[in-house]
Amino acid sequence: MAVARSMRRASPISLMLAALLAFGFICFMLSPSAPSASASAVTSHQRQQDAADHPLSPPTKPFLKSQPVRSDGYMAAPPVVHYNLNNLTSTSTAIANGERILILTPLARFYQGYWDNLEKLSYPHELISLGFISPKTKDGNAAVAALEKAISKTQSGPIDDRFASISILRQDFEPPLTSQDEKVRHKLSAQKERRESMSRARNSLLFTTLGPSTSWVLWLDGDIVETPASLIQDLTSHAEPVIVPNCFQRYYDSSSKKSAVRPYDYNSWIDSEQAQELAANMGPDDILLEGYEELPTYRTLMAYLPDFQALDPQRMVALDGVGGTALMVKADVHRDGAMFPAFPFYHLVETEGFARMAKRLGYAVFGLPDYFIYHYNE
Amino acid sequence: MNRHYASPKGYAAYPRGDSTFSLSPNKFQPRSQPALRRRRQLFQRLILLGGISLLLVIFIFPSWRAAILPTLSLGLFHGTEDLQLQTVRYYDLSEVEGTEKGWERGERVLMLTPLRDASSHLPMFFSHLRNLTYPHNLIDLAFLVSDSRDDTLNMLSRMLTEVQNNSDPTMAFGEISVIQKDFGQKVQQDVESRHGFEAQASRRKLMAQARNWLLSATLRPTHSWVYWRDADVETAPFTIIEDLMRHNKDVTVPNVWRPLPDWLGGEQPYDLNSWQESETALALADTLDEDAVIVEGYAEYATWRPHLAYLRDPYGDPDMEMELDGIGGVSILAKARVFRAGVHFPAFSFEKHAETEGFGKMAKRMKFSVIGLPHYTIWHLYEPSVDDLRHMEEMEMERQAREQEERERELAEQKEASQFKFGNTHKLNDEFKGSDKGPAAQPVKEAGKGSSFQ
Repeated sequence: MAVARSMRRASPISLMLAALLAFGFICFMLSPSAPSASASAVTSHQRQQDAADHPLSPPTKPFLKSQPVRSDGYMAAPPVVHYNLNNLTSTSTAIANGERILILTPLARFYQGYWDNLEKLSYPHELISLGFISPKTKDGNAAVAALEKAISKTQSGPIDDRFASISILRQDFEPPLTSQDEKVRHKLSAQKERRESMSRARNSLLFTTLGPSTSWVLWLDGDIVETPASLIQDLTSHAEPVIVPNCFQRYYDSSSKKSAVRPYDYNSWIDSEQAQELAANMGPDDILLEGYEELPTYRTLMAYLPDFQALDPQRMVALDGVGGTALMVKADVHRDGAMFPAFPFYHLVETEGFARMAKRLGYAVFGLPDYFIYHYNE
Repeated sequence: MNRHYASPKGYAAYPRGDSTFSLSPNKFQPRSQPALRRRRQLFQRLILLGGISLLLVIFIFPSWRAAILPTLSLGLFHGTEDLQLQTVRYYDLSEVEGTEKGWERGERVLMLTPLRDASSHLPMFFSHLRNLTYPHNLIDLAFLVSDSRDDTLNMLSRMLTEVQNNSDPTMAFGEISVIQKDFGQKVQQDVESRHGFEAQASRRKLMAQARNWLLSATLRPTHSWVYWRDADVETAPFTIIEDLMRHNKDVTVPNVWRPLPDWLGGEQPYDLNSWQESETALALADTLDEDAVIVEGYAEYATWRPHLAYLRDPYGDPDMEMELDGIGGVSILAKARVFRAGVHFPAFSFEKHAETEGFGKMAKRMKFSVIGLPHYTIWHLYEPSVDDLRHMEEMEMERQAREQEERERELAEQKEASQFKFGNTHKLNDEFKGSDKGPAAQPVKEAGKGSSFQ
């Protein structure tokens, strides 16, 4: 009653005061004192700004769910969209320049460890787009089902943790990538076919998802389960066209009774004269492979280069061949045409052939022997 | 113990009578009407004020919108309404392999056109675009505007917007991307320097780079076909996409000729980059160093290759196919899966070739079928070279001299005729004039010749 009576007597001045108070209250509610709320407000604003208007748009962008309709009832035609690639940069200060990154993964099997590691990456997620390609097989279906489950959880979770966009591609592979058994997979005779098929998968994924605003492409295999959270920042900070970290694997050493690490990826190497001689005597359709007794190449393998006494994650070495378990590439290198040859290119295929093609296009290729990422242990 | 015997003494739900703490509703005193009304007004004013101030906040700081809306809705709609963005896309690439009747299956075509100082060709190009019979909504257009000093970009956007806003909804195309990227080309684009032998290798590597940038930025998982088309095609059938598609090959090119003035032979093969490999050329390639690029049509490299262009018979079967190893880039229809497999335009020397010829080589290397249609011809624009222009000038002067001469002869004849009869001379004169006009009207007539092919 008392309140009512006082309000009955309210003058315009007190009304103004009340409005001011209300305004101040709203300001207080929305002020940056609540860091989490305001951060997601900023990124969701940026996400809205980045979004494409129409579903017919680069897959590296999300698009608006609601679509405009013309006055005569037809759906409005897609807009004319300009992309100025002169302004696109890929520099050592990737975050400051808001450089967009595309993480590409050929997916044969889904590991929760892979996804968890991906979610932990500290690069702003609104700048990260993901692309997956999976064969249309039973294994592929299972992998995609598991992937979609993980995606729906992340993409409906906190806004800051969501990725800008995700594309899932399916493709029939000839020959099919069926036997993912460790032993069969690494047999020399099966390697050429397997790696050519893998090249086609990588190229399909790359050329359909690479958008006009992508600055960097990170190739990350689906069985990489542990990387530093700052992986993207660390690899881009060198601002090299192609750069590859050292891929190791954790295992339980039964002799010393404790967990240890061992090299996993042998495809990052520096060329040798012996290997070039081997190649010179080969037929045009033969390929050189690393890690097989039949082909003694005597190349310098990055897997054996780390100096465990004095690790320096910044140390770079120039390479001639690279592996694809984790591989950071400036998008311009791919745009110039560097792809994963699905045919013997200088007797090399897939990622090793890619390194060669990048060099033919005039780009330098580097490795970080003391910077580790870890492969899943089967 | 009758529980229902509730109020024998007048007990009720409310205690009545002399109770001090009476809550009886009977004692309620209704508030006076004016007071209530005044309060309602007050509330309305308050709400109005609050609303206005909120709107102000929203308008002044657009970036707050995303923050205010969830706050107002108390986070109730947080999960669903917050962004209204579709972030996940799913594609099955085995459904976009490309078939011979793509227009019936709704297969999307990506049409790619590199442009450079091309504003003079744009009106012609857009008339071709509008006339394409392939369903427009299935065609995605992409342009690369590079190193242009003229008004190409503005003109292009204006014309594209016009097409998309056409009142007829079937005229509008699908996704339209205009890519700007300068490659810092030093090489002049005019006809003289463009075709000089020295400039060819580096020019073609740069062209290849431009094509790759355009393709990689605009190829989508929805595309079944990719159609490369230059802006300076003067005449081509409206059904060209369907015509090339019907062959259901991985890469298909038509024959490209250009009309010429009569004094240069009337017409001429234009695109010499479509050819079959020859033993001579392979042997030549072996002798060259790693970075050398063989270019066709120059005396420096005699390759003795069978060219698509020279095999044309104007009355031949337009469906006839010919296997090719190198191709030209004026008009290429390729299945998108070729590009998805990684085939591109080498900006380096690939098997001693670059750009479109290297593209053909690489497609063959990856076991894709590459064909040309020798008797299916499109016509490239004729741009007179400096020599041609000089020659034309001389021709014009000669023509004028000849006309003068003829006029004098006519006068002489008339004089002679007047001595006999009048009737026949006029007829003769008319015939003379008709044949004189022929060469002057030549370029237009040639254009007409091209279109008659459809």
